[in-house]
Amino acid sequence: MKITIRDVGKDYGPVHALDAVDLDVASGELLALLGPSGSGKTTLLRAIAGLEPIDRGRIAFGDLDATALSVQERRAGFVFQHYALFKHMSVLDNVTFGLRMRPRAQRPAREAIRRRGLELLSLVQLGGLEARYPNQLSGGQRQRVALARALAIEPRVLLLDEPFGALDAKVRKELRGWLKALHRELGYTTVFVTHDQDEALELADRVVVMNGGRIEQVDTPDAIVQRPASDFVADFIDARDAARGPEPLRVASSL
Amino acid sequence: MSASPRRRARSAIGEPAPVRVVLIVLTIAFLTAFLVLPLVLMFSQALAGGVAAYLAAIGDRDTLAAIRLTLVAAAIAVPLNAVFGVAAAWAIAKFDFRGKNLLITLIDLPFSVSPVIAGLVFILLFGAHGWFGAWLSAHDVRIVFALPGIVLATIFVTFPFVARELIPLMQAQGSSEEEAALTLGAGGWKLFWHVTLPNVRWGLLYGILLCNARAMGEFGAVSVVSGHIRGLTNTMPLHVEVLYNDYQFAAAFAVASLLALLALVTLGLKSLLEWRHGDELAALRGR
Amino acid sequence: MTSRLAGLVLAFAAGFAAIGTASGAEVSLFNVSYDPTRELYQDINTQFAAYWKSRTGDTVTIRQSHGGSSKQARAIIDGLEADVATLGIASDIDALHEHGDLLPADWQSRLPGDSTPYVSTVVLLVRTGNPKAIRDWNDLVRPGVSVITPNPKTSAGARWNVLAAYAYALKHNGGDETRAQDFLRALFKNVPVLDTGARGSTITFAQRGLGDVLIAWENEAHLVLKEFGAGRFDIVVPPTSILAQPPVAVVDRYARKHGTEALAEAYLRYLYTPEAQETIARHYYRPLDPAVAARHQDRFPKLDLVTIEAFGGWKSAQARFFGEGGVFDQVVGAR
Repeated sequence: MKITIRDVGKDYGPVHALDAVDLDVASGELLALLGPSGSGKTTLLRAIAGLEPIDRGRIAFGDLDATALSVQERRAGFVFQHYALFKHMSVLDNVTFGLRMRPRAQRPAREAIRRRGLELLSLVQLGGLEARYPNQLSGGQRQRVALARALAIEPRVLLLDEPFGALDAKVRKELRGWLKALHRELGYTTVFVTHDQDEALELADRVVVMNGGRIEQVDTPDAIVQRPASDFVADFIDARDAARGPEPLRVASSL
Repeated sequence: MSASPRRRARSAIGEPAPVRVVLIVLTIAFLTAFLVLPLVLMFSQALAGGVAAYLAAIGDRDTLAAIRLTLVAAAIAVPLNAVFGVAAAWAIAKFDFRGKNLLITLIDLPFSVSPVIAGLVFILLFGAHGWFGAWLSAHDVRIVFALPGIVLATIFVTFPFVARELIPLMQAQGSSEEEAALTLGAGGWKLFWHVTLPNVRWGLLYGILLCNARAMGEFGAVSVVSGHIRGLTNTMPLHVEVLYNDYQFAAAFAVASLLALLALVTLGLKSLLEWRHGDELAALRGR
Repeated sequence: MTSRLAGLVLAFAAGFAAIGTASGAEVSLFNVSYDPTRELYQDINTQFAAYWKSRTGDTVTIRQSHGGSSKQARAIIDGLEADVATLGIASDIDALHEHGDLLPADWQSRLPGDSTPYVSTVVLLVRTGNPKAIRDWNDLVRPGVSVITPNPKTSAGARWNVLAAYAYALKHNGGDETRAQDFLRALFKNVPVLDTGARGSTITFAQRGLGDVLIAWENEAHLVLKEFGAGRFDIVVPPTSILAQPPVAVVDRYARKHGTEALAEAYLRYLYTPEAQETIARHYYRPLDPAVAARHQDRFPKLDLVTIEAFGGWKSAQARFFGEGGVFDQVVGAR
């Protein structure tokens, strides 16, 4: 399902957290929101989910105008940076939470809910861990529970806030590949926030570079790297190369 | 894995053995003198006349009335304060609004106000010459020197307990789990019942325990509004005083021992909670 | 959840019902009294209930509340709805008129003997064998004698104690007020602790074992002998003391509200019957009835008793001795 964002603005006092943001996310696309902290990327993601009320503009999912809809009504699957798993619930109860909270008329039967939960857990490769509690899981496992929980409600769109931010480098690499494969398999329109240029460029179909509450550039990873639309984008992407570039040299000099 | 460095750290700041021994002995001596000895004395006084006399003292009509009154007052005050405490903590921890700091200070007020003053305030409000005195008298409603006054005084002195336990706990937990529940379609009551409340349940129980212990043990505020009508408006602590002043020492200590037992049970449950749910409660201790 | 709520509501309702007045032949009366009369009124109430039943067929339940006399008066003014007040000093009942208009100013003339069905006096209680050889008030000011008496600011009994000591000092110093005050000063130098009520002081002396001598109501002293067994304490009756007059009164406003005026008056008048006077004497209060008094004269040694009139009545004595900056404040301030 495509997401349409038109002229969205949000102020914190005199500061424009979001300033006239226009963005179209194609159906089934995997889109990265990239930028330094304070650039408005997380605010935009939360605005799409309805967690952050906006002051101006419109947000639509497909033909559905979501601007005035509550968080619950938007049915946007959201994976929080620190997962926000329910500590007092088992893994299975976490995953099936959205189904169990539906109004009685729309709620599947108990057994069906359980079955769906177990399916989702095996989809995220956590089969057999349904009785565990969040504090008995590793960071990567928690991440996948959070994802399964968001998928359980058959979301219109999938939103991920710094999905790998809290993980160590090795797990992060593994999960990246896995997430890309899962996205291909399920085909949800997915938006994720990151401050890591590599992550954005490697994973996303298109990358949105944000700065100061505005969109600097929306393009494919190749286009961003080769034809940055502004100095800011060029510097921000170069920063990655600068950080990475000297490494082989240092190795060489030590030989 | 983390245990061994911690142990090393502790011994590194540790004092030499003699100092340690002296400190431990001092602590134990102090506790014995001020806690264990009085308790032992009290129970021995209570049982001085034998078990039959002990039971007879507790079975006395006025004593039973005092026990009943204490239980009724606690049964009304504690649930009300639990609901109030949760509501106040939720408002304070999850929302930003003007006057929030003032509200927190107000919640703490009963901790800083002498219970006697609290009792007097109710006399000033509901006494025969109080603000509402004439109206109450005209409608034959009795507040002070009757059950409602005792319940009000109890509520007043105990209302911070639940709120004070929950505010830091809820603040520490933040609202990300609630946000997650929102995105998953749960709102309002369901959100509160399935996410907010279970997250603070041990803290809530802890607060309720403390609230209950105080509600049943309160003397000062209740004494002012009670009127000390025997068999009618004497709670257990007040009845202990009455019995003691009536030269019924064994009976006084018998009723006191019931209160002490209540305190011990509270203490036991509290320790159990801390032992089983220490992580969650750590947020409280850190305040 | 709902059943628990219902339980609470029931508990609440039951509480209210218990407070509401009973109907039919069940009547109740509320007597607010001072500290040492607990045991006396327990007996009187049982007797009166039987008497009332035989006369009217009604079952009467009498509620009691005891505490420091002035404190009790304050509570009645604040709405503790006493049908009758049986307090330690007339000025405490005067307060019910002055501050609450709960009864008329002339209340004291409504019942015989200035509304005082029993009187008492102040005696000295010492440890058995009287190791400090205490015979009279002047023994209390000797160095090394520890005296227990409550705080006159809060206790009616303590006020009688102070005036008794003062009366002694006046008499033995030819009416010299300065020397009488010096006497009080010396006496309070020997007081290690001031409890708030007469009963508190009694327990300090008898149970906790503090002090060599307790200045006490006569009846309270005898009660100690009874409660703690003979052979532990002796009563020393000084040659002079004060006539303590604890009055009684119907609290008209509340009695009218409860519809218990007749019952309340009958209850107080009952105190003057020979039957009640016997009980009063048995509890070591001096009965008003001369016949009963004669029967018990061995219980009540004769001594020279000054009355409050010697101090110009309670109103003036209260202000002069126990008011802010009064004699007591000066004496204790110079401790």
